[in-house]
Parts: sequence; C-alpha cells; structure tokens
Amino acid sequence: MTAPEPQNKGTPQGEPAKIAGAALVPKVGVFVCHCGSNIAGVVDCGKVREAAEKLEGVVVAKENKYTCSDLGQAEIIKAIKEHGIERVVVASCSPRLHEPTFRKCIQQAGLNPYLLHMVNLREQCSWVHSHEKDKATEKAIDLVLMGVSKATRLEPLEAREVPVEPTSLVIGGGVAGIQAALDLANMGFKVYLVETQPSIGGKMAQLDKTFPTGDCAICILAPKMVELARNPNITLLSYADVEEVKGYIGNYDVKVRKKARYVHEDKCVGCGLCSDACPVKVDNEFDLGFGQRKAIYIPFPQAVPLKYTIDKEHCLHFKTGKCLLCVKACTNEAVDHEMEDEILTLKVGTIIVATGYETYVPMKKGVYKYWEYDNVITGLELERLINASGPTGGHLIRPSDGTTPKRIALVQCVGSRNKKIGNNYCSRVCCMYAIKNSQIIMEHEPSTEIAVYYNDIRAFGKGFEELYHRVREDYGVEFIRGRPAKLSEDPKTKNIKIRAEETLLNKITEREFDLVVLSTGLRPSEGSKRIGKILSLTTSPDGFFQEAHPKLRPVDTAMDGIYLAGCCQGPKDIPDSVAQAKAAASSAAAPMFAKKVTIEPLTAWVNEEVCQGCGLCVELCPYGSPELVPGQKGGTKAHIIEALCHGCGTCAASCPQKAIVTRQFTDDQIYCEIQAALSEHGRKQAPKKRAEAEVSG
Amino acid sequence: MKGPNQEEEKEVEKVFIGGLHEHLTEEKVIDESQLVPNFADEIQKYGGKDVMTCLQCGNCTGVCPISLKIDYKTRSIIKYCQFGLKKYTLGTRWVCATCYRCYEHCPADLNPAEVMIALRHIAVREGIIPPFIKTAATNLVKYGQSVKPDPEIDKIRHELGLGPIHSQDPEYPKVIREIQVLIHASKYDKLIGIQEEVKV
Repeated sequence: MTAPEPQNKGTPQGEPAKIAGAALVPKVGVFVCHCGSNIAGVVDCGKVREAAEKLEGVVVAKENKYTCSDLGQAEIIKAIKEHGIERVVVASCSPRLHEPTFRKCIQQAGLNPYLLHMVNLREQCSWVHSHEKDKATEKAIDLVLMGVSKATRLEPLEAREVPVEPTSLVIGGGVAGIQAALDLANMGFKVYLVETQPSIGGKMAQLDKTFPTGDCAICILAPKMVELARNPNITLLSYADVEEVKGYIGNYDVKVRKKARYVHEDKCVGCGLCSDACPVKVDNEFDLGFGQRKAIYIPFPQAVPLKYTIDKEHCLHFKTGKCLLCVKACTNEAVDHEMEDEILTLKVGTIIVATGYETYVPMKKGVYKYWEYDNVITGLELERLINASGPTGGHLIRPSDGTTPKRIALVQCVGSRNKKIGNNYCSRVCCMYAIKNSQIIMEHEPSTEIAVYYNDIRAFGKGFEELYHRVREDYGVEFIRGRPAKLSEDPKTKNIKIRAEETLLNKITEREFDLVVLSTGLRPSEGSKRIGKILSLTTSPDGFFQEAHPKLRPVDTAMDGIYLAGCCQGPKDIPDSVAQAKAAASSAAAPMFAKKVTIEPLTAWVNEEVCQGCGLCVELCPYGSPELVPGQKGGTKAHIIEALCHGCGTCAASCPQKAIVTRQFTDDQIYCEIQAALSEHGRKQAPKKRAEAEVSG
Repeated sequence: MKGPNQEEEKEVEKVFIGGLHEHLTEEKVIDESQLVPNFADEIQKYGGKDVMTCLQCGNCTGVCPISLKIDYKTRSIIKYCQFGLKKYTLGTRWVCATCYRCYEHCPADLNPAEVMIALRHIAVREGIIPPFIKTAATNLVKYGQSVKPDPEIDKIRHELGLGPIHSQDPEYPKVIREIQVLIHASKYDKLIGIQEEVKV
C-alpha cells in the first residue's frame, strides 16, 4: 500500500496517525440490527453475530430488534462504557438514514463520532436478496467482516464550522421568488432578488383570475410586488442575469450582469412621456403578441420597478442612429442610449432558486394546428384575452375576425402526459385553469357553449372539486372524455371542426367550434436550464430541478445552501408555489440564524509533498472544490476548499501521484476491506481456489 | 359520419367479423369466468407492446380510417385486452389496415396496429381463421401471391405496355416449389389448414 497516511490536517486533534501497525488492534463492538423483519426475515442475524464475535478485535457483538431505538442506542452506550470499545460497527440500514443517529449516540458515550462504521444489511443485502436466504446470510457475514476490518482503521475526525453570510440571493421574481424574498426580508435578512425581465411578477402577473376562488391574479400579486420594492432589506435587481456562482454554503460569490435598460433607474419616475413620444410599435410579449407596446416600455401597468426599458432590438436610435424622441420627451434626463451592462459582485450565504416555468408550445406540424389556424389559441393566450387589463379589455374575441365566439372547445393535456414528446408528467394546473376559464367565459357570455375535451379531470385541491361541479351544474359546461384526433378549419368561416371519440359513449363525435383553446402544460424554463448549469443542480427525468428528498427534504437540493421554490421544481399551482417559497425561506433562514454551519470532515486532503500540481483534480471535480495554489515550498500545488468538497473521491481516484486522500475512504481502509472480503475467514473455499474454479468454470 | 349503406356495411362485417360481434353485444354482464389472466403478457409475446400503458384517450379511434366505415373502435379493443376479455378481441381484428396512424398519434407511445397483428397471431393459433385468409394463403402456395392471377389483368397490362406478370416466367414452377417447401417447413400450412394444397 503506497498510499500516504492521512494526517487529518483539518483537525487539530491528531490521535494516533497510525493504527495499522500490528501491535494495537482497537476494540471493536458489533451491533447487528434485525430491523423488525426487514433484515431478520431474510438474514440469519444470529449467524452473523456469531461470525462477528470470532473476529480479531471484536470484544462485543450483539443483536437488536431495532438498534436505532432508545433501547438499542442505550445498549451501544453501555457496551462502550463497560468494555472500553474504541470502534463501533452497526450492521443495519443505509448510513443515509441513521448514520447521524449513531454518530450522536457514540459521541454521547464519549467516543469520536467518526469512529463509527455502518454496514448496510438492509438495502444492500436483505431487500435485494429476499429469495436467497442462505446466500444473503453469507453475504451479510462478508459485509460485517469488511466493516469490522475497516473500522479498525478508522480515525477520529472533527467537524468544522464555517461562518454564514446573513444575506440571501433569490433567483427569479415570480410569485415564489417574491414570497421567499419577502419572508427572508421580514426575518431581518438582506435579500438580493434577481429577475431577468424588466419587471417582477412572473407568469402570475399574466393570468386573469386564480382558481378556485376567482381572485384577480394581479390584484393579489401587485401588493406583494410593491411591498417587495419598498422593503429596505431587499435589493431588487430587475433586468439582470446571474452569470457566475462560486463558493459554498454561507459564502457564495455571485456575479450578476445588470443589463443596460438605457434608462437610469434612479432618475426614471415612470411617467410614461418617453413611451408616448416613441414612434415604434411592436408586439407586446406580455400579451403574447395580441397587444402592442412601444420600443421604450413597461410590460404592464403594475410593473415593479416602474422604470421604463428600451428594447434595443426595435429602438430606432439603435437601428439608424437618429430619433431620440424619448430623450427629448423625458423631463428628468433619465434616458441614456450610451448606457452599458454592469457587472455586480454579491456575497451571499444562501441561494433560493425560483426560476419558474414556461408553457409548452404546440408543435409546428402538430395535430392541433396551432400554427396554421388563427382560431386555435393556447390557455395562456386565453388568459390575456379575458383579462380586464389585457389587449381586448377583457372581451373574448376570435383572433380571425374579432367576433365573440359562441362555441368554444377546450382541449386538455396538450404537451403533458404524452410519451411521444417525452413529457410523461401531468402539469397539474391545466384541468383547473380550463375549468376556471370556462366559468369566467360563461359569466361574461352566458349563452356560450363550452366543451372540454379531457382525458382525466384532476380536481384534487381544496375547493377544486366544488368548482368542477359548479361549471357542470350551474354553467352547463360539457365534458367530453376523449382526445381530439383531427382538427379541420372551414376556409370560409374559419370555424374549426373537431373529430374525437367520446370514449364513454363509444362513439366518434364531430363538432364545430368558433374557438379552440389548447390547455398547454408546463415545462422547465430556459432560464432554469441556464441557472441549473451555473449552480450544478441535478434535474429529474422531466427536466425540473430535483429536490434532495421527495418527501422529507422537498425544498433542499443536493447542494447545501441552495433551495428550490415554485415551478422550477415541478408543475404546481399558486398556493403550492407560495407554500414552497415559504418553506424555502425558512430552510434558508436556518443556517443564517445560526450564523454558522457544520461541514462534514469527510473531505479530500492533499499531501503537498507528493502533489505535482498537474491540475487533473481541478478539471474532474464536479463541485469545483480543488484549486491550484502556490505551495509552501514552492511550485504549484492542489488545495481542497473543504467546504465545497462532498467527499465523492473522484480526485483521489484520479490523482496520478496518489497525493489526494479522501478521509474515511483512504486507500488503506479500502484495501483492508478488500482483503477482508477475500480472506478465508468463515469461507468454505479459499479465495485463490475459488478464483481458479471461477476461471476454469 | 354516415357509412356507405346499410347492406354494404353488413357485408363487410360478415366477411371480417363473421357474426361474432353481434353475438358478443348481446351479453349483459361480464363475469370473472370470461377474463383471461395475463392476456397482456400473451400479446407482448406475439410482438405487441404492453397494452397496460394505454390511458384510454380515444385518439386512436379518432384517427382510424376504418372506424369511419364500420363499427370498429381501436380504443375499446385495447380496453378488452387490458381487461383480459380475450374472446371479444379475437374475431374482429382483420379489418385493421395497419396504416399505423394510431401509432403516430398515440400519446402513450403504444402501437395499437401491432397489438392488432399480435391478436391475429393469437387468433390463428386458436383456430379462429376467417375464410378469406385461407383463400389468400392458398393463393400464396399456388401462385406465389395472395391474389389469384387474372387473365383480365394481364390483358390490361398488355394494353398499358407492361410485361406479363411472373406466372409466365419459365422459372415460375421452381419458385412456387421453393415457396411450398418454405411454407411446409415453417408449418404455416398446418396452422392455416391448407396441407392438401402443399405438395412437398
């Protein structure tokens, strides 16, 4: 074994650097857990205990029904005190679950918490080999053998604490981001909110009413937006992008590009004189192309901050070098075409990602002919058309001729629950927004006929089912269970005929409509993908960010100090987004209140004398932990930023000089485990003979 | 959409369905004895995808060109398969033209057309073979093609300046012989019940 002995530099408390010498084998205690019948139902725990008892160094070997119970833990403590056990092996479940429990337990008894080794008999043995009980027992014995031999080589480690900057960064200014920022600010923390659009508000600002209560979306959102802008603890960076994030929990360095607005935010009062003077009219993205805006604009009247922005692409000055009418109109000299992007560097302790969603865009050559027929629109477009502050002032009209549609079809599951396009997931909100929109349309025009082509109606939330019943009973909205197969347009009237099987009638139906609304699903936004790369966040198969645990850690990510809120984690409605934002704020606040975090000492460590500074570890590390620094005795040496290190071992495995050691997974410890696995102990065949048999067999 | 006319429709149903359809629609209650367990697995064995992935959206029926002509619902056949109502599914599957439009539109990425082909395999092995399949198979072993050669067609081909079809070819008897050997070797003749046509 040429591996250097880990000297455990991070910890002042040195303990014996070498236990490997034959002279001193530390006393080991082995605790085999039945886990009810989870393990004992398959593995013969008695045999495992007997095998463990015979091992060198093992002073105590015990069985327990539930080692994690108070009783089980008390037994470990008792054994440590009575027998002077120096290393503890618990053969039970995955360390992911109970390692912290047992670490605390042995710490209570006065042992260093890192002198514990867990053998995973449940996930790695009994559950996977439930049909082969004898072999499972044999494997369990092997695993315990390996565990004990590793335990003898364990060294005490000390967890480290790092300070936490009491400032948070919220990425995304939709309802989730706004709520998270407000909550943190109200707790007294400084918050930076970065939004890529000129105004915060996100998708919720575009919606008309909210289901199931029918509150006007912007009416309930605007007060929050204003509150956010006024909060002294919040610095709002609108029209800005996060470009780079470096660091670790408590100490992130964030680079933000503040895009040039060409209007000085400190001088603009939002009077709108510039916009009145601007001669350029373009489609307003906020109204999804139905309304128009000027080249100097605010996206919607309630925009926060109420500062105008010049759209460089369409501004005449940027095209021809002339015009400048806005400059003349502005009484505050706020307009400045010479403005440039600004790079800000922020220091924050925690990050909340609330980058939201985008709606699915129907395919160019799809069945629903969204791009071919004028009178096929999406759900979000309908929201703008029935919105009182929308381009039509809340009057629903057909795009083809501006008349009021009398027969409307709503088509569900467009871009969701479809394996062909790779979106297997349910978007969760489409059923309810279609039902809500049909209610609003019926309230405006009670004579309208509405048919909803659905596959399954998912009305699972509080008050949702009641709304579903209301639109059926009170408004007579018709629900047809079937996916439209064919849409065809009458070239003269521009009406659209839908052919679909009414699966409950077992009949093919063909009906004509004035307007077809596609209830498009939700998908991760482009911004999410960019931010995901910057923060190295993992995504689930559907493309949304992956939470650390689906049930118990729903707002955390695999990266400490980074939390998720809103639709970037998965499709959800407004109440769920707000709830998650509040949860993320509370999770982010925890380390900031504590002002420090404990960092696991299971990190990599570089032996500077052996390191040649080749930089391979810097390239390979998925967390950006190693860096090249000038060595104490000259030359370039790798140095591990411990707070960033997750102890994955990539650097140690790849280091050509074997200069890097991962604590608790040193070469020495791993070789020890391998030797134990191949040893003759408790085995019918000698490993050599067995290997020969395998080769010849 | 109205079909061609009642009589024509009946004729089509008689040829392809053989009256089984009417017999089945009379049943009022389906009890457990009619359900075949693991029918979905059997379909998979014969090359169909897992019918359990079907969400019953009805898109396949909507796009099916056959469904506009006769009472034929792709979705409900898939439902029978999911349920294990084997006898409902075996008699009616020969109308599928395997145009694969259902596959093109299916959001569950199931391929109903291939399920229909699998059902045909199962039906033939159960001895449910419509007469026209026997005719086509007989033509295959006799003439090397499933449609009987017709002097009328040869005449038209001649008028159009096309050569005669391969029955005029001197190699023809040898080719037929080869086909017959193959069909016999693969036991296809026994399966369809046309042993007497194959002389090996």
